[in-house]
Amino acid sequence: MASLIRSWIPLLILQSFLVAIAFGSKEAEEFSEALLLKPLPDRKVLAHFHFENRAPPSNSHGRHHHLFPKAISQLVQKFRVKEMELSFTQGRWNHEHWGGFDPLSSMNAKPVGVELWAVFDVPQSQVDTSWKNLTHALSGLFCASINFLESSTSYAAPTWGFGTNSDKLRYGSLPREAVCTENLTPWLKLLPCRDKDGISALMNRPSVYRGFYHSQRLHLSTVESGQEGLGSGIVLEQTLTVVLQPETTSVETNMQPSWSLSSLFGRKVVGSCVLAKSSNVYLQLEGRLGHESKNVDTEIEAHKLWKNADFDLSLKPDRVLRESSSLLFIFDIDKSSDSEPFDLGLTWKLPSKWSCQQAPLQATRFLMGSGNERGAIAILLKATESQEKLPGRVVTDGRCTIKANIFQIFPWYVKVYYHTLQIFVDQQQKTDCEVLKKINVSPSTDKVSSGMLEMMLELPCEVKSAAISIEYDKGFLHIDEYPPDANQGFDIPSALISFPSHHASLDFQEELSKSPLLSSFKEKSLVRSYTEVLLVPLTTPDFSMPYNVITITCTIFALYFGSLLNVLRRRIGEEERFLKSQGKKTFGLKQLLSRLTAKIRGRPIEPPSSDSPAAQSSFLSSKLIFKIILVAGAAAAWQYFSTDN
Amino acid sequence: MLADDMACNARNEYPAQVFNNENHKLNLYGDNVEVDYRGYEVTVENFLRVLTGRHENAVPRSKRLLSDEGSHILLYMTGHGGDEFLKFQDAEELQSHDLADAVKQMKEKRRFKELMIMVDTCQAATLFNQLQSPGVLAIGSSLKGENSYSHHLDSDVGVSVVDRFTYYTLAFFERLNIYDNASLNSLFRSYDPKLLMSTAYYRTDLYQPHLAEVPVTNFFGSVMETIHTDSVYKAFSSKTSNNKINSEMPVNQLSEHDELQKANIPNDELKTEKQKCPYTQMRVDLHEKLEKFENVDTVVNLGIAVMVFVVMISSSLL
Repeated sequence: MASLIRSWIPLLILQSFLVAIAFGSKEAEEFSEALLLKPLPDRKVLAHFHFENRAPPSNSHGRHHHLFPKAISQLVQKFRVKEMELSFTQGRWNHEHWGGFDPLSSMNAKPVGVELWAVFDVPQSQVDTSWKNLTHALSGLFCASINFLESSTSYAAPTWGFGTNSDKLRYGSLPREAVCTENLTPWLKLLPCRDKDGISALMNRPSVYRGFYHSQRLHLSTVESGQEGLGSGIVLEQTLTVVLQPETTSVETNMQPSWSLSSLFGRKVVGSCVLAKSSNVYLQLEGRLGHESKNVDTEIEAHKLWKNADFDLSLKPDRVLRESSSLLFIFDIDKSSDSEPFDLGLTWKLPSKWSCQQAPLQATRFLMGSGNERGAIAILLKATESQEKLPGRVVTDGRCTIKANIFQIFPWYVKVYYHTLQIFVDQQQKTDCEVLKKINVSPSTDKVSSGMLEMMLELPCEVKSAAISIEYDKGFLHIDEYPPDANQGFDIPSALISFPSHHASLDFQEELSKSPLLSSFKEKSLVRSYTEVLLVPLTTPDFSMPYNVITITCTIFALYFGSLLNVLRRRIGEEERFLKSQGKKTFGLKQLLSRLTAKIRGRPIEPPSSDSPAAQSSFLSSKLIFKIILVAGAAAAWQYFSTDN
Repeated sequence: MLADDMACNARNEYPAQVFNNENHKLNLYGDNVEVDYRGYEVTVENFLRVLTGRHENAVPRSKRLLSDEGSHILLYMTGHGGDEFLKFQDAEELQSHDLADAVKQMKEKRRFKELMIMVDTCQAATLFNQLQSPGVLAIGSSLKGENSYSHHLDSDVGVSVVDRFTYYTLAFFERLNIYDNASLNSLFRSYDPKLLMSTAYYRTDLYQPHLAEVPVTNFFGSVMETIHTDSVYKAFSSKTSNNKINSEMPVNQLSEHDELQKANIPNDELKTEKQKCPYTQMRVDLHEKLEKFENVDTVVNLGIAVMVFVVMISSSLL
């Protein structure tokens, strides 16, 4: 008995140990969805869809996924991607009206077209190959021509100017890529509920693509688990940001338009995605001052927040949060269903105006110069009115400065002369050392790699405007390298202006574990803005010239060889002689025959008609002369009648 | 392969929507469209690479044809074309001998069992002049010297929305329902040169099976909408479906009728021949009786019940 018990005890201990391990390390996949709606000051509405999918470390969980898209986990494993962001954008983010300082605009105001950057976890020599294979895999996954980023002329390796400090980072951008339903469809297929259920069912394609700005973004990062040998988990964040204009029936132009989900998207939310851990709709209103000191908890006060003199919400929010000057209404859509669809509406009763907080400096970029030989690129940074109120002003040596990082890529056919860099602060030229603190230049190589420029400027806080200009020469492309619409011009991708000393975050003082959207807002993100894409017209060749050259060359060859052969081989009168010889040959036969017939008939022998060739030749020549006279007469008549007019 | 982005073009009044008719009833650019090659990637080189399968290693599977020796491939090309060429991106051309060479390579590599080429351009029939590989069926919207025209202009969108050949092809398919067994012959004979303003010419010398026996679903698919229903599944017989064909399509009806007649004749022959052998006659009679039944399920159930009864009796007897 005792021996049995003794043998049982270690077994029990082992079992409890295993159970403890199983429960302790059990992490499940999590998926959460959220929709943030925000009225904008210029009568538009911003809708931001946010989907987050977390996969635990693969070694503990195996390769089985039930919520996480297998395509993404295979991508991460095959190419050893540590962090990646891919965005498809159309439209320009209006920093003046829509803000530049909040985490939403810093993370979602993307350059036009496709932008891809990735950090790899492979040895330095293999980073370029991994990048190339990654671009091909993504182009197949998202139905876009991302594979154009594979050639070394289209991507760059930024260092500190981009914000992520890594030497295994590659960045590429395609400004001219179109974005349409075929890019949204595979993006939606990565979600567990696709576009059939939950918040993603709102995405009516015509409504999304009718917007003033739409940008779909996919950000994936690997999360190192603390324990060795467990691999790393993956966090996949997918966001779609759309700026729409609701249709207004009101005549007053200073009143904000009233809208609802069904008027914006044509659809209502019928139930949440059952696979989602949390499914919320947020409504954020900015510029709501004046209710700060009152206690939110009392019923009447809470009621006043969402139905008051300024505006009315059609549904009661589940929770209300506030943060300095913005109000956040939270709606939980788990309770909605087919019979009770969720259709949030906002009705404005009084005209109200507010402004969104902007980045300290507003950046624009433009081309200078004319002609097809050279030009200049200029970046203009203008101070915005919210500059004084912003936190993050660095005081060094008794002076207050704003730091700005500028990161630009120049294609190889825009041959930039870095020594012509000029910096103007408040319209006075400054020597570089005063303002330019750090610069990193990677010059371009013709047809091999593009040029990259990273600058860090330190501008005084009271600056009104700053301008940076740089001159370039236009290069020549080979005729094969021109796209079919070569006369449109060629693009210089957007420059990225970031402010390393300013960090944007929105802290709503709320328990964060429930809402990934709010926790992503709480993280301090770098304030950044992208400039416009520049269109550079390059000299184009005459594309019909190869055809012309071939035609002319062949004509010359034909004339040369033709005349050469004629001179060498042609004999004049060859035909008559041939006929004569033929006549002589048949003369014998014919003569015999005629003789025979004559003998039979008893008629005299007739001489052969030997003067017929001569008659023929004279006849021929007279015909020829007649033809020549006719053609000459026609030409003369034509000349006469044409000059008559 | 779409060379231009039409649906989300800035000039499109109706973003993410492409219509084939002025009435805007059908949005061809639905919610689930996927385009593998678009924009600058639509080149003659990529097209021939897709056909022959000579891709670089890094090209993903969704951009490859991945066909084998049992595949039926439908190749539809439209745009501007002329005598033995088709224009790509206004900058290069696909010539008829290039296409014929690619198809020949495909046949050598056994990358298809049957290939149908449909071309809707001016002088389309010249594009497949040089084809020689067996198993290829080709139809073009116009002969040499003829132009192909667009059907109508949509003044809302501002462009002509569909070409005549494509319009009448789509109209043919819109008339069919799920139970129709239309053949390629009926499709090809439905083109009226007066309506098309050109002659739709097809060549079948390389294609062995008779067009009247090849269903259109060999090459064309459709978007099926599944609707959840709680009612019990009922089997439909083919006889009831024939009555649903409209009289607008006399050609189609005639061909269907011919098919029916052809099908009936061997049955009669079977009847008269096998009268001598009683066993097979019984089987044939039984078969015919079973075919006449609408609800085969009840007969089967009855049969099983009878069998069980017989087994019970026999076991009790034994």
